[in-house]
Amino acid sequence: MQAQILDIATSAAMLYAVAAGLLVIFGVMKIINFAHGAFLTLGGYCALLTTWAGISPWLAFPVAAIVGFIIGALVERFIVRPLYQRPLDAILATWGLGIILGQVITLIFGREVQFVQSPVQGTALVLDTDYSLYRLLLVPGAILVGVALAALLHGTRLGLAARAVIMNEALARGLGIDSDRVRSLTFGLGSALAALAGALITPLSSVDPAMGVPWLVNAFMLVMVAGRSLISLMVATVVLGGAQVLVSSYASPVLGGLTIAVLAAIILRIRPQGFARD
Amino acid sequence: MTDHADHAAESPAAGTVAPPRGLAPGTLAARHPVALGTLLALGAVNVAPLVIDTYSVNVLVRSFLYAAVALTVDLLWGYTGILTFGQSAFFGIGAYALGLAFTHIGLTPAVAVLALAGAVVVAAAVAALTGWLAFGYGVSPIYVSVVTLVLPIVATQLVFSGGTFTGSSSGLSGFDTFELDLEDWFRLAGCGLVLATAAAWLFVRSDAGRVLVAIRENEQRCTYLGLRTARIKIALMIACGIVAAIAGYGYAAYTDVVAPELTGFVFGTELVIWVALGGRGTLLGPVVGTILIDLTSAYLSGSLPFIWQLLLGVAFVLVIVALPRGLLPVLAAGGRRFAGAAAGTRAAVLPNLVPLVPTPTAAPADAGASATPALRLRGVTRRYGSLQVLHDISFTAHAGELLSIVGPNGAGKSSLMRCIADGHERTGGTVDIAGHPIGRRNPEACVAFGVGRKFQAASVFDTLTVAECLRLARMRHEPPSLWRRAKTLRLPVSALQVAQATGLLEHSGEEARHLSHGLKQALELAMVLALEPTVLLLDEPTAGLTRPERQTIGTILSALTRDSGMCVLLVEHDLDFVREISSRVVVLHQGKLALDGTVAEVVGSDLVRTIYSGETHALGDAHG
Amino acid sequence: MPSVTLMAEVIPALECRGLSSGYGEAVVIRHLDLVLRQGETLALLGKNGMGKSTLLKTVMGYLPALAGTVRLEGRTISGLPPQRIARQAVSYTPQDQALFPDLNVGDNLRLVVDDERALRTAVAHVGGYFPFIPDRLTQKAGTLSGGEQKMLLLARALISAPRVMLVDEITEGLQPSVVTRLVEVLRVEQRRLGFSLLIVEQNVRFALAVADRYAVLKQGEIADLGASADAGAETRIIDHLRL
Repeated sequence: MQAQILDIATSAAMLYAVAAGLLVIFGVMKIINFAHGAFLTLGGYCALLTTWAGISPWLAFPVAAIVGFIIGALVERFIVRPLYQRPLDAILATWGLGIILGQVITLIFGREVQFVQSPVQGTALVLDTDYSLYRLLLVPGAILVGVALAALLHGTRLGLAARAVIMNEALARGLGIDSDRVRSLTFGLGSALAALAGALITPLSSVDPAMGVPWLVNAFMLVMVAGRSLISLMVATVVLGGAQVLVSSYASPVLGGLTIAVLAAIILRIRPQGFARD
Repeated sequence: MTDHADHAAESPAAGTVAPPRGLAPGTLAARHPVALGTLLALGAVNVAPLVIDTYSVNVLVRSFLYAAVALTVDLLWGYTGILTFGQSAFFGIGAYALGLAFTHIGLTPAVAVLALAGAVVVAAAVAALTGWLAFGYGVSPIYVSVVTLVLPIVATQLVFSGGTFTGSSSGLSGFDTFELDLEDWFRLAGCGLVLATAAAWLFVRSDAGRVLVAIRENEQRCTYLGLRTARIKIALMIACGIVAAIAGYGYAAYTDVVAPELTGFVFGTELVIWVALGGRGTLLGPVVGTILIDLTSAYLSGSLPFIWQLLLGVAFVLVIVALPRGLLPVLAAGGRRFAGAAAGTRAAVLPNLVPLVPTPTAAPADAGASATPALRLRGVTRRYGSLQVLHDISFTAHAGELLSIVGPNGAGKSSLMRCIADGHERTGGTVDIAGHPIGRRNPEACVAFGVGRKFQAASVFDTLTVAECLRLARMRHEPPSLWRRAKTLRLPVSALQVAQATGLLEHSGEEARHLSHGLKQALELAMVLALEPTVLLLDEPTAGLTRPERQTIGTILSALTRDSGMCVLLVEHDLDFVREISSRVVVLHQGKLALDGTVAEVVGSDLVRTIYSGETHALGDAHG
Repeated sequence: MPSVTLMAEVIPALECRGLSSGYGEAVVIRHLDLVLRQGETLALLGKNGMGKSTLLKTVMGYLPALAGTVRLEGRTISGLPPQRIARQAVSYTPQDQALFPDLNVGDNLRLVVDDERALRTAVAHVGGYFPFIPDRLTQKAGTLSGGEQKMLLLARALISAPRVMLVDEITEGLQPSVVTRLVEVLRVEQRRLGFSLLIVEQNVRFALAVADRYAVLKQGEIADLGASADAGAETRIIDHLRL
């Protein structure tokens, strides 16, 4: 039981970290970035590179975020910008971009599964359970990501501009806000978060060129359910992530893999706005 | 092309005089190109195995089966606008039906037939469930992509969790299967693909097939023409699911292998990529594209697997961003320029427009209209959250009345129109159309009761011709053919009058997007009149029109109410226009019914004067 | 009338020449010529659907000019996106959804100033006219009363230090006392800052009280143009607007 509580908390934390970047892009730009999984993979390979380079594994996080940001901003400029009026095509184009990124990674690193060094080793005794310390640290890590995003959105001028663009882009433009710049930065930020999440989760498993796809599906479902709010994303990750853990342990891990997608589909059918307030 | 010219010359005259009816001699000729193409293609797939090398024949059987699935993706996404990632699931259902049956029961003719029947039934049931989930009222349009994404994931996981029964991750293989020569497999799959493509080709060019494009272009207009779009989309999903399942069945029989990847999300997205590259909404593009890409993959994946995938990814992104219609239309346009001949297949069928002889069934409705009001509103309210835009609106309107609804911006005029045409819109109160309470029914049910709604901004089907738009408006009365185009189009006299008076008839072969703004408005009005409504809702029909166009519309509306006994509700800003044509005026102000009277009463009232000179506080309202 | 320099006589604050615009293929404004002089207030009047709001949206770059040009103090601005026009000291207050109702009062104002210091100065200044603003900086703008929202809109327009101010129907649904207050504030601030003001109005009395000149739009063309002080202006305008 205690182990399950910890599993739920850490799973929700991982899902939150993974989905936050997708939510940021969807919230501001109303675009679903299907390259999200590829950016996650990219972050995983950034972690692999730091392992190979023999530098501190902690550096994997800033490296992944910076690489994600730069590539994301470029992608926004050249691929996403022509597609704002065609949101379904934007899904497809970013999926195609994901294929490209995946194949480039495969060409450079090969198809095989590889392992990265974890910045934290060992276990800790929590709730009478010996539990992976790194996994536990993901909880404050995800909270940190959420708080930093909230601070960025609610405490800076860029965040204010982004919120204005979300709420009413036409009005924001009329007040002199350059919504193109806001979008570039947002897409860069969302991609950076995806890559960071990739670097965060790889020490728990491994890296391979297809690692992002299942995460993409789950993140997509969570964002559809959460709408545009960081708070409802937290609720969604705890509820759906918790259900996933419970189904995995009491039914079967295979069915657990389905839980988020199926529950999200059911929730959205009953309540199209999901966990968002209206 | 000669066909086209003939009909174009005939149609204006046909507007007033019914042409001789009966089978036009052009019917067979019009179908000829399809029949010819089909026969040629059938011949080609029967000869091809004799000349192509064995490896290619081997690969092409698979490519043909994939192409059949791509065809269904094109029907769903390319034609109807339903972005689906889930056709792989249906392919997998067919494949596993065969794999499971032959592995666990064995190969007998009965088992083979039952497995196929099982595949079809399961695929149809899953498609119906998916459609029911995805196309409910108020469900967001992106939801269908969510569900079709979940579907293959569920299917794959079910296979994984099936243990030795489904073979889990390694799948099933080595079961006994049909013993056919490779060449025969090729001919079977090839003929199947050609016939499926020909059937799809006839369907999308038939009257019924235009509905798919209409749904993609403007689903709202479809529902307000009384078309039950949800049912149509579910039916399409079922048909496409069955075709994909049959292809999957063939795949398993041919390869003797079924694996979880066949049902998976990645295969589902690959199908979309092939369709996009070939050219969505062209049928031939996706079929040819799929075959070429799969064949090339087979040759290159051995030597350059990742480079090939990379190139495909790059091509896909480039096509989506720069050539959203895909490669076939580009190549076809180039080819046409090269050949110098126009292959304008679409314009070939242009129906004669024929006035509809009033049927006896219309009479009881008219008789009833005199007893019960055409429209009755009692205590209608509308809230958006805490904002109340309509307060307790009650009035009745009768056949033969032209009732104008006026009031300043934000008075609730358009909200009121929505509440009459869609049972889900109002918060409280009742709306009766010719004595039928609309309850919480969908717009298409309100249309069935007799509502016809014209939107403020002309709402037509951009890529359909004028004649096709009008045909769609008649489908509620005259079910369309699934494989051909009717040679005549019967329209109510009122709709025909609008089309004639505005000059729309001369453009009946033109796509609606090329019409002028005024003609688009006229087209939508003619479409709504083609519904033969008892209550006609018009939201600013003259907005953006020139003065002569306004006058034409005004004259037509007056005549319509006088002659056809329709009840017309008009929302209008141009008060001069209102004064000229109305028999009664209702004034809305801040969501309340402020005045209801004759034109003279309303125009002369102090209340209207104060509302329009901006002194809103005169109504004793403490706003702000 | 504020005093005008020779320079200002030559270069209008805003100038539309042969301007046509509309929505898609629906042409709402046809070959319109209109000049807003430096420092003056011009009221655009006309019935609904006659192109008043369309004109402001075209000037602001929301709608493309189908023909003709718009010049701001001599520089062509037609073809620029709204944010570039706003950055040239043009303030625009649309008729609907002019505020961010889910942002607080402070954030609504913060969007148009450069930094926190400028915001503090600006809030102190507009607080002199509308004391509720400094008191309720953290209240969501959507929870203000209708009149307060309009005052906040005017405050936002003023603190953005505009050269040209475009205001679409700010008096809609307001009590006469609030309208009078808005007129006073506009008068004082225009004298102080010297901006030129183009207002769209349905309220004829407010329009004439605040404007130096008026123009009546009918079917996208100017049907009447004159000085507000002209005898009989009001009767003539109401004549244009009547049923």
